Amino acid sequence: MATQRTFSPSLAALMSAAAALAPGAHAQTAPAAESDSRVSYRFNQYGEDEYSGATIGSPERYKVYSQQYQLETRVGSRGALNVTATHEVMSGSSPWYVLPGADNRPIQVLSGATIQEHRSEVRAAYTLDPGTTSSTTFNLSYSQERDYHATALGVEHSFPLSNALTLGLGGSFSHDLIAPTDAILYDRVQHEEKDTVSAFGSLAWVIDKSSVVQTGIQLNVENGYLSDPYKLVSIGEDVLADTRPGSRTEAAWVLRYRRAFSGADAALHLDYRYAQDSWGVASHTLDVGWYQSLPHGWQLIPAARYYSQQQARFYAPYFLQAGAHQFFSSDYRLGTFGAFSASVNLRKRIAHWEVSGGVERYHAAADEALGGADLAVPGVLSYTRAFVGVDYLFE
Amino acid sequence: MPNNCAVYLAAGALLGSLLLGGCATTPVQPWERGRLARWDMRWDPDSLQSAMRDHTHFSKEASAGHIGAAGGGCGCN
Repeated sequence: MATQRTFSPSLAALMSAAAALAPGAHAQTAPAAESDSRVSYRFNQYGEDEYSGATIGSPERYKVYSQQYQLETRVGSRGALNVTATHEVMSGSSPWYVLPGADNRPIQVLSGATIQEHRSEVRAAYTLDPGTTSSTTFNLSYSQERDYHATALGVEHSFPLSNALTLGLGGSFSHDLIAPTDAILYDRVQHEEKDTVSAFGSLAWVIDKSSVVQTGIQLNVENGYLSDPYKLVSIGEDVLADTRPGSRTEAAWVLRYRRAFSGADAALHLDYRYAQDSWGVASHTLDVGWYQSLPHGWQLIPAARYYSQQQARFYAPYFLQAGAHQFFSSDYRLGTFGAFSASVNLRKRIAHWEVSGGVERYHAAADEALGGADLAVPGVLSYTRAFVGVDYLFE
Repeated sequence: MPNNCAVYLAAGALLGSLLLGGCATTPVQPWERGRLARWDMRWDPDSLQSAMRDHTHFSKEASAGHIGAAGGGCGCN
């Protein structure tokens, strides 16, 4: 691209630095300043562990194979385009509901193993004035499954407040359509909708020549059908549909820190997020990553993550009686649990090519939560995810 | 809960140290930001991997996302 080649290396570096500090730089924005365009491919494999507790149903665990394709390129003199396509193939059984067993010990009932399901997603982001602290990004995405369609729009803009501070503001809207399979056979809802409105703001600060910090808040408001049409809940002698409130408001605070260590030729990444919602869920997430450059174009990236959440007010593995409850869910994702994960990625640059691969191990359990858990979360699981990828950089 | 307090304190200490550290420095000029421009100092160096990791966590946890356009949901959650 001739447009990019008009930049001198030093100017390109400065623009890249500005882009790195812009609040939206984590999103799909401009291609790297060191290349005009990039095409990327990733193949991901995800597999869950066997359940350790008592279960009823298909023992076939959930597996997902995903392919991702991405194009990043300059458009004209002021724009950059990022287009990503994802296709996933999924199969296996998943937690359905929980029954009380002997001594009220929970027994996880699993759904029958699904035939292969598919999900396709396309995302596009156009950035005006990429690589500056005053850029605007427009996002559009569409995700399609046999029983779920989601369309989302978003915009974000960054403002330079000073030589060291950049303010970012943005918002997005998503409209989702839910049409569960076998709805009549299993007495599920047939057609439902969900809308999500998000607003966010952030502040990025250049602390010194080798460190930057960003803090921000995000507010999400969901309205519509927020229950899981495929999950049931045991209430006394009955097994009824998962029933959640029709609205949910979530607020999150994020803090991100990057520090370069020139002597070690490495960079430290620290991310923390606190989130709380109107259902009573509160969570902490801490991510730590170390980006180590090695000779001959190699990069080694070990990382660790800890996540802990407190349950929604209407969660229980099962309900012995309905009582005064209006909402019920035994979805393990609304229970109290904690999760540790560790990953290691490796990258190698070979001329215009970049190859990468990595593996993540995720382990979750109720007693890993901060402060422990009062109720069992029998569906909580552990998994292993691995990927390989290749990028081609046009220069 | 004591453990929650520890997390709040750790987060507060991190933020405080960053703020104090930042106040003690002089403004960084544009020509001094070469190290900050590197790939490994981005907020999100590998957007494809981040998207896949976030999507996986979104399907397993009640809280999800980051600062930015939220995107649509999926049948996984």
